[in-house]
Amino acid sequence: MSVAESRRGTLVHNVTLPLKERLRRKPEFGAVIAFLALFVFFSLVAPRFFSLRNLTSVITITAELGIMTIGASFLMICGEFDLSISGNYATAGFLFVTLGNIFSFPLGSVIALFVALGISCLVGLVNAQITLKGRIPSFITTLGMMMFLRGILLGITGGQSISYKGDSIVPTLLTGILAHRFRPSHFWFLCLMVLFTFILNRTVFGNRVYATGGKKEAARTMGVNVDRVKTISFMLCATLAGFSGIVAISRFNIANASFGQGMELEAIAASVIGGTLMTGGYGSVIGAALGAAIMGMVRTGLVMAGAPSYWYSAFVGVILVVAAIMNLRLRGATLEW
Amino acid sequence: MDREEPLVRMGNIHKSFGVVKALRGVDFEVRENEVVALLGDNGAGKSTLIKILSGVFPPDQGSIYLRGKRIEFASPEEARIAGIETVHQDLSLVEKMSIARNFFLGKEPTRRIGPLAVLDVKKMNQDSQLAVSDIGMRIRSTEELVSCLSGGQRQAIAIGRAVYFGAKILIMDEPLRNLSIREQRVVLNLIAEAKKKGSSVIFITHNVYHACSVADRFVLLDNGVKIGEVIAGEKTPEEIAECIATGCMVGGEKG
Repeated sequence: MSVAESRRGTLVHNVTLPLKERLRRKPEFGAVIAFLALFVFFSLVAPRFFSLRNLTSVITITAELGIMTIGASFLMICGEFDLSISGNYATAGFLFVTLGNIFSFPLGSVIALFVALGISCLVGLVNAQITLKGRIPSFITTLGMMMFLRGILLGITGGQSISYKGDSIVPTLLTGILAHRFRPSHFWFLCLMVLFTFILNRTVFGNRVYATGGKKEAARTMGVNVDRVKTISFMLCATLAGFSGIVAISRFNIANASFGQGMELEAIAASVIGGTLMTGGYGSVIGAALGAAIMGMVRTGLVMAGAPSYWYSAFVGVILVVAAIMNLRLRGATLEW
Repeated sequence: MDREEPLVRMGNIHKSFGVVKALRGVDFEVRENEVVALLGDNGAGKSTLIKILSGVFPPDQGSIYLRGKRIEFASPEEARIAGIETVHQDLSLVEKMSIARNFFLGKEPTRRIGPLAVLDVKKMNQDSQLAVSDIGMRIRSTEELVSCLSGGQRQAIAIGRAVYFGAKILIMDEPLRNLSIREQRVVLNLIAEAKKKGSSVIFITHNVYHACSVADRFVLLDNGVKIGEVIAGEKTPEEIAECIATGCMVGGEKG
């Protein structure tokens, strides 16, 4: 609680909200519960689930999906969608492999990384321009972009896979195996979580992202350049998607045109499970990460429990809907969809 | 009446929308630290007049002076910078954000930590709480979401914010609409408090009784023409209501 003296001479109390209320208002509150519940569930059902070896591989999957999900959530909080993130994921991965193979000079893979990220960022800019200048829903813009990117990739590669033969600097820095199968990608994921949490909650830009997604007209009335905020968010989202693609490619060492197909919906589902509102203005990066972690757990946990891996999608579908309902109930009537 | 130059003077304002003549040669002024109620029936031109003043659109004819200096606003932004702030309870607050975050939206304070400009959350909470309590509204915590607040509390945030950022003139279009009777009283009280803090207030209303409780002066519009002005206390609310209903001043000094 802070107390200050007002100009009227009376003391003004500013109460820090009680813990219970603050928890309820955290977008990721429901996701924490769901995460713990599933964690316990799989640990009981699948004996080998709770082992360091498995948990690190869960984190590996989580990191790759999670980096994309952070971007997707960020843009959703800003009030827009990006369905082309999986296209961007594949395109950046493909570009990285192709350029890495061509750039035989020192630090070739590093240059390839940044060029590929630059192209992803550019795709985000194009998405933003089309959406804002063309005044069409980003759902449509990015659906088009997703199909476009995927088609271009198929056209160029003819459906053939390409293996990575460039230098090992970037692959090692991104996904080189460390002790207990920990990988650097876990660390990068953590860094991005911290960075984007900071941006959203502790910077001027973050405040404007929430406002733009929460109520565009109000943000505009208060002098926020809404289009600029959206454009930057589109670019951040696309760049993160590209980065997650490069991380995954570094692990697989092979790129093909159908890489990451359907992953955009996984990322959006993870965002929703993590408590981000589809209508914008509300959500968190921690929630996004937890959403991705839930997906990662389900993916390996089901297999370890002996269920065919096809069940993954069905299970995630149920979790998604239950999570959406649970999030709403937890928050109460003040934060409707 | 004193000879002092008013804070704002609008002279001979005309505005048409197609064939509809919304305003036909209206003169309007607001003095320092004065509450003016704009009264009139639907379609009288009240909203058009204040939208011209707040820069939403320019007049077809006529001029606006701010402290004797001729001004032309190209946008609401410019009017705001000049200190003319329109207070919308619905249009300027984001429900899913906290009071403190709303309060400083667009003018967020930061402090430097090394190379980083970090939101000064402490200042945001403290200043917004002080500003809102200064105009006589109690809120439990500035961390509360705006969606939890009543209509009157929301107006307090919007007014407190405008006063805090130095608005000279607050414009309120039907601030009492959709409010409960208790909340209406709260908002009327806010208007009085904003005046005490040195601001001038222009507010539009249908309801003469509301106007009478806080306004220093009443300006009556009918069908795009100013039909009269009344200083508080000169006429009873019943007489003013009669003027609005009939569209003419009865026994007034101006016709």
